[in-house]
Amino acid sequence: MHILGVLLPDNQLVKHALTHFYGIGKKTSQRLCARVQIHDRCRMRNLNQSQVTALTAFLSSPANSPPVAPHVLAAPTYVPPPLSQPVPQPEVAPPVDRLREIKIESDLRRQMRENIAHQRMIGSYVGRRHAMHLPVRGQNTQSNARTARKLNRVERYN
Amino acid sequence: MAFPTDGSRALKAYGLPTNVLVDYMLLAAPCSVIRQVTVDVLDILDKAASTSSAQTRLAFTGKSGCGKSYLLLQAVQYAVQKDWITLYIPRAINLVNSSTPYVYDPRTQTYGQPAFAQQLLKRFADVNEALIKDMKVQGSYPFEERTIDSTSTLTDLINVGLEYSQQAPTVLNTLLSELAQQTKAPVLLAIDDFQALYNMSLYRDPYYKPVKAYHLSLPRTLLEFASGKQAFKRGAVLGALSMQNTTFRPPLELVEALGLEPAQPSGPYVPREKDLVEYAQGLKNFPVPDQLTVDEAASIFDVWHSAKALHIPRGDETFLSKFTESGGNAREFVKKALLQTVAL
Repeated sequence: MHILGVLLPDNQLVKHALTHFYGIGKKTSQRLCARVQIHDRCRMRNLNQSQVTALTAFLSSPANSPPVAPHVLAAPTYVPPPLSQPVPQPEVAPPVDRLREIKIESDLRRQMRENIAHQRMIGSYVGRRHAMHLPVRGQNTQSNARTARKLNRVERYN
Repeated sequence: MAFPTDGSRALKAYGLPTNVLVDYMLLAAPCSVIRQVTVDVLDILDKAASTSSAQTRLAFTGKSGCGKSYLLLQAVQYAVQKDWITLYIPRAINLVNSSTPYVYDPRTQTYGQPAFAQQLLKRFADVNEALIKDMKVQGSYPFEERTIDSTSTLTDLINVGLEYSQQAPTVLNTLLSELAQQTKAPVLLAIDDFQALYNMSLYRDPYYKPVKAYHLSLPRTLLEFASGKQAFKRGAVLGALSMQNTTFRPPLELVEALGLEPAQPSGPYVPREKDLVEYAQGLKNFPVPDQLTVDEAASIFDVWHSAKALHIPRGDETFLSKFTESGGNAREFVKKALLQTVAL
């Protein structure tokens, strides 16, 4: 199925399929599944409409996604109210939600481009190395700088 | 001493534990051996038919491969034959290993597992249809879609869960509390992989904190029956520990409640979780012997030979050598000693 224009194969586990997004790896995808209550062995074809909507809504803009209410879990002595009565909604302060700080796809690429552009603008060593298409982090250049020569640019991550 | 167990609708409906399934698939006429412990368990069940389940809460323990799952199967089949209402969960590990969908229920403040509950309700209805046909519901349960009150039968209650999967966990818990109040037929609650209910589950809450097994709706209900907090007026609760899966080992609280020797650190400075200690109190240890007797092993040997499954001659020498190789352990005797003669 398609989520935000990316084709996620129906047969794959959801926690693996979500890593197809740029900026989501294994850990983030597991946290995302937990946020939307998708179990570990759920495949893309097993998702229901509300879960797909929740995933799409979150991934389209993680920073603006609505905060999730924390689930209060019952102590062994808790007696649930009978079915006829309304359910009490206990107010609990939500813990820190790190998932809203993540960036994916074009936002992430823009951030990385801006970081490199900033390094170039202030005239730093890192900026100069990007401009010269050479390794940035102190690797050997006498041999083995092939990847840096191919990929390091100031306009990288376009 | 082997008795045939095929044609049992309870097992076909509920399914089998994974370790037993292979034997049943290989043998044309699946059977199990009647041992002294089988006779003891069936005696206990006979006495429990008239007493509260709070007095008969057993946990089968023993070495890996000594026959705990098979013993539980025999108890379930006996209960079905004696017209008990049986609820058998062959793989309780599937409740806690994050393999079924889970949904938070703000009313009970636990996570329900609608797909698992719906499947279990269907299987329960298949096996116990005749026994619960005329039982009326004793409480009043106004579900969103339909109201179940004292004019409805238990079958109507189950049908609400079968039709609306989001109500299935609530329906299952309600069904168990209704069964706890009736005295028409004794109830057997049999759980294999019992120790999985005392562990941390693999589920996570929205903030990625791990969820304990007793924060899941069905395991919590099972633990309440196992600890005596809820009890059937007539019946028993049987659990079989499984030593095979190392992700879900019996925790210290359960091991101490059953009086077993702890394999993990157990000094006074090791914390015990108070909730688990409460859920484990009152469980009686029912040890299953590590070794088969020679007669029992001989009848298993006969059964496998009659099924023409083995490539060794049928004689005392081969039998005794295989018996000695496995040291009397039932699983080793069948899987390693006998079935490996077929391996090329």
